[in-house]
Amino acid sequence: MGRSSKKGPYVVERLLDKVDRAEQTGSREPIKTWARACTIVPEFVGKNFAIHNGRNFIKLYVTEDMVGHKLGEFAPTRTFRGHGGKAAKGAGRK
Amino acid sequence: MPRILGIDIPNDKRTVISLRYIYGIGPFLAEQLCDRTGISPDKRARDLTEDELAKLAALLDNEYVVEGQRRRQVQQNIGRLRDIGCYRGLRHRKGLPVHGQRTRTNARTRKGPRKTVAGKKGVKEMR
Repeated sequence: MGRSSKKGPYVVERLLDKVDRAEQTGSREPIKTWARACTIVPEFVGKNFAIHNGRNFIKLYVTEDMVGHKLGEFAPTRTFRGHGGKAAKGAGRK
Repeated sequence: MPRILGIDIPNDKRTVISLRYIYGIGPFLAEQLCDRTGISPDKRARDLTEDELAKLAALLDNEYVVEGQRRRQVQQNIGRLRDIGCYRGLRHRKGLPVHGQRTRTNARTRKGPRKTVAGKKGVKEMR
C-alpha cells in the first residue's frame, strides 16, 4: 500500500538542507548519506550522492527519471556472485 | 459478433464482461465505459446497436489507452526502470520476480523452466 498523500513524500530534512547548501556553494562533491528511505525529490536532480549500502557508499548521479524513487533503490545491499562454476564445486563439496 | 476498434471481437457475454477482452480494459474501466456511454452493463454484446458501438469506439479512441498503445506504454515503463538502474529495474533485467517474492523455491513464471544443476548430491550422500 502506498503512503498517504496527505503526508507528502518522505524526505529527510537534513538531506534537503545539505542539497540546498550544495546548490548555493555550487559544490559537485557527492553528498554522503545513510538515508536510503528518503524519496528523491526534484531538488535532488543533477546532484551527486553517495548512498550507503551497509558496507560502502554507492555513487549516484540523480537524473529526472529517478524522481519519486527512494535513494536506497539505487544502492543494492546484496552481492550475488553466481552459483556453480569450477571453483565453487571444488571447495564446496566433499 | 460486434467489432470495436477494428480487431477486438468480444463475444456474446454481457457488455461489461466482453469489453474486458480489450487489452487495457479491466473490471473498473469496463464499468466506467458502460456508465459513460449509457449502455446497460447487462446487455449482451451481440445486442449492441451500431450507434452504441460507435459511441464506445469513439470514447476508447479519444480518452483511453488500449491495445498496442497500452502495450507499448507498459514496455516503456519497464524500460525506464531498467535504464535508471534501480532495484526493480535490476530485477527486470535479470528476469527475476520484481515484487519481493521468494526465489529459493517457486518464482518459475519469471525464471522459466527449471535448470537442474548436475552433481548436486542429496542429503543422504553428504553425510
